[in-house]
Amino acid sequence: MNSKRIKLTAIMLLLVGYGIVQARIKLVALPERAATVIRLDNPQATLIEEERVLTLQKSLNKVDFSWKGVSIDADSIRLVALDHPDKVTLLSVSYPPNEAALVWDISSADNFAERVRISYLLSFIDRLITYTAIADKAETQLDIKSFLVLRNFSGEDFDKARVLLDYGEAFKQGINHEETKQMLFLKTDNVPITKIWTFDATKLPWDPEQLENRNVGIPVSYRIVNDTESGLGEFALWGGKARIFQDDGHNSTIFLGEDVANLVPVGEKMELYIGDSRDIVVTQRKMTDTQINIRRNNRDRIVLFDTDEEIVAKIENFKDSSAILTMLQHIPGQWDMEKCNIQYKRKDAYTLEFEIMLPARTEKGPAVKELKMHYNRRNVRP
Amino acid sequence: MRRLISLLIIVAISPVALAKVDLVTLPSRDTVQLTIYNSADMTLVRESRALTLKEGKNSLQFSWANTLIDPTSLEMLPKADADKIDIAELVYPPRVRNLGLWNIESGVSGKVPVEITYLTSGLSWRAFYMGTLTKDEKTMRLQCYVRVTNNSGEDYENAQTRLIVGTVHILDEIAELARRQYPYGRPGEVVRLDRQIPPTGAPVLRADSVKMRALAEEALAKPKEIRKEGLSEYFLYTIEGTETIPTGWSKRLLSFDVDEVPVVNLYKYEEERYGQSVVRFLSFKNDEEHKLGQTPIPGGLLKVYRTAGDQGHLSYTGQSSFKYIPVDEDVELNLGSVADVVVEPTLMDFKADNYRFDNRDNISGWDDIYTFRIEARNTRDIGVKIEIRRNFDTPYWNLEKSGDFDQYEKVDMDTVKFTLNLQPRSAKTFQYTIRAYRGTRQENWRESSR
Repeated sequence: MNSKRIKLTAIMLLLVGYGIVQARIKLVALPERAATVIRLDNPQATLIEEERVLTLQKSLNKVDFSWKGVSIDADSIRLVALDHPDKVTLLSVSYPPNEAALVWDISSADNFAERVRISYLLSFIDRLITYTAIADKAETQLDIKSFLVLRNFSGEDFDKARVLLDYGEAFKQGINHEETKQMLFLKTDNVPITKIWTFDATKLPWDPEQLENRNVGIPVSYRIVNDTESGLGEFALWGGKARIFQDDGHNSTIFLGEDVANLVPVGEKMELYIGDSRDIVVTQRKMTDTQINIRRNNRDRIVLFDTDEEIVAKIENFKDSSAILTMLQHIPGQWDMEKCNIQYKRKDAYTLEFEIMLPARTEKGPAVKELKMHYNRRNVRP
Repeated sequence: MRRLISLLIIVAISPVALAKVDLVTLPSRDTVQLTIYNSADMTLVRESRALTLKEGKNSLQFSWANTLIDPTSLEMLPKADADKIDIAELVYPPRVRNLGLWNIESGVSGKVPVEITYLTSGLSWRAFYMGTLTKDEKTMRLQCYVRVTNNSGEDYENAQTRLIVGTVHILDEIAELARRQYPYGRPGEVVRLDRQIPPTGAPVLRADSVKMRALAEEALAKPKEIRKEGLSEYFLYTIEGTETIPTGWSKRLLSFDVDEVPVVNLYKYEEERYGQSVVRFLSFKNDEEHKLGQTPIPGGLLKVYRTAGDQGHLSYTGQSSFKYIPVDEDVELNLGSVADVVVEPTLMDFKADNYRFDNRDNISGWDDIYTFRIEARNTRDIGVKIEIRRNFDTPYWNLEKSGDFDQYEKVDMDTVKFTLNLQPRSAKTFQYTIRAYRGTRQENWRESSR
């Protein structure tokens, strides 16, 4: 059953000559909605386009469009004549007081059964995108499914509407008020992934030994590129909740974790944080932090100095597979690196990025790497 | 028997009208698999059922009132004729709660095996440990148990039960998703939870002879083995066979039992961290040498006992919760402060030296020189290892040490560590002198430290 909260009434004003509008007389039966389009290409607002046939009389017609129990942006309502656009002219739009309604003054050159398209922005109807992906056991690729979730809480039922997204074919779908529908709309298998472990020295504790009975989890992410090589790249991937599973090798899966994917334009990367690794352990300590090159004023006060700092980070891989750890170190202000035993990339003025290859654990124990960073911060003021 | 999840197949003659339903069947679960997480209140349920489909449009109704299922996680996959069966959509109908409707377009007629997966809340597991030290406290029997609890509101009979060790990242609590009035919420509003629905309705104190019998029969069999394997950043424990855990019940299973794990009685002293007391740790390594090292050890609570007397009696030593231990990592179990191992630092001498003055004749720099004597006493009848950490208030320091200690290590810029191994009922004494450079004297520290 349709709730029919949106009503359209054509009113022929019989007493045109009087000038001032009388009480509106609703003379004509409700014209039924014909083709309806729900356009969901803008995540901020949903545009409804519906076609109706208006029985127009020659000369001036008043068409009353009213709504109740739905939230329509009145300023967004548009009317377009489809059959005789040159002979049917919208003269003005009036808003009656204290009513969710408007009245179109339409001038018609003849008697027409005119097809018109009414469009408006309707609130509380939208779409979400969700992703479900299954990684293979080796974690080299993902089978991705994306679901479209239509949510209609607009107050209006839509029997059979054409639903349009920002790409792909329109599809027929009915959706009632308070109904939610989930449908598969994208399926891509064997999308290559890169697994990334990241230790950011400003975000994670340095010395796990100081934490009583707490592991430091190193965040683990999967990186996907939205390009043709990945079997994607046709359109931007919408943002949404992504749930990631993994094939367990026993005809079943385990749940790995979930994250919110941001909108990923073509050619860009999507990074999904799935969980924390407790099998890679970083112990970072500052071994030296002293002032050097001290400059004083004539009152013997220190006005400028450099620092001499040394950081040692021990990285242990307890996993029985290798891993590449991305380590981010931060040095504020002006600085010079005196000595560093691992090559780094300067991400920005204050951030150093190390890509540290960690071999798998062997019989002898965990694979251990040590980063030693000796640097001077320059021209520090007390 | 508590069966809250139900499935109906409605084969509609007309694709639109649900009123014209001519067939309803209730397929039961054929198999069910539970993958239970302990870092979050979450379980992945995978069940297989055989549906009887008709060629054409079919509607399948799935309802889960009074359970804690996350409706947004529901997924169904045909396990045969997958190319002929199109699961077109999953509809959450208006004004109906805890119900989903799958609209299926089938190219085949007859029985079709399907797999339904979803996430639920209310099932949990945790690991806990019992450690029994030998009399000389050189070795320990370590028993690990897992305890699986079902408060999901649903009975899972003969379920293959799997446990995940690891920390997953989740955005929403499954229990909260389960309580939502609308599975995906309403557009344009912050999701509100409907607190009217109780989280679980499982009565715990119910005498149910069938359940009791089922549990008793399983108890007679030999202990089940737990297969362990690594997957991604997690470890998957698969319990042999199947388990029946009615809602409201818990079950304890033995995960491993290792005898004679060599342990070190480690004692630590660090004033800033533990105060004046010595804290006892039990230390071992999760490796083959310690008869472990097959898999990581999940975090949990360990209760430690010590064998007392010849009759196999026990005395309770203490308990410690510990974190997840990867393979090959050291384990240090904090058993609390003790009085039978004593560390006493005493300031034996203090002086200031090397005063510097600025151009106004004010003091601008000097050295503080402290001499500490540290005495460590082991009053126990077994040998112990003691780690003594000393923290300084400056990174500008030099240290001279002498006396009876085994190892010395600079831990970081203002911390050092002395390690001592003490025989039963013995004591050791050592001494150190720390020179701390203050003010402008810090500029001389570099040269002097060379």
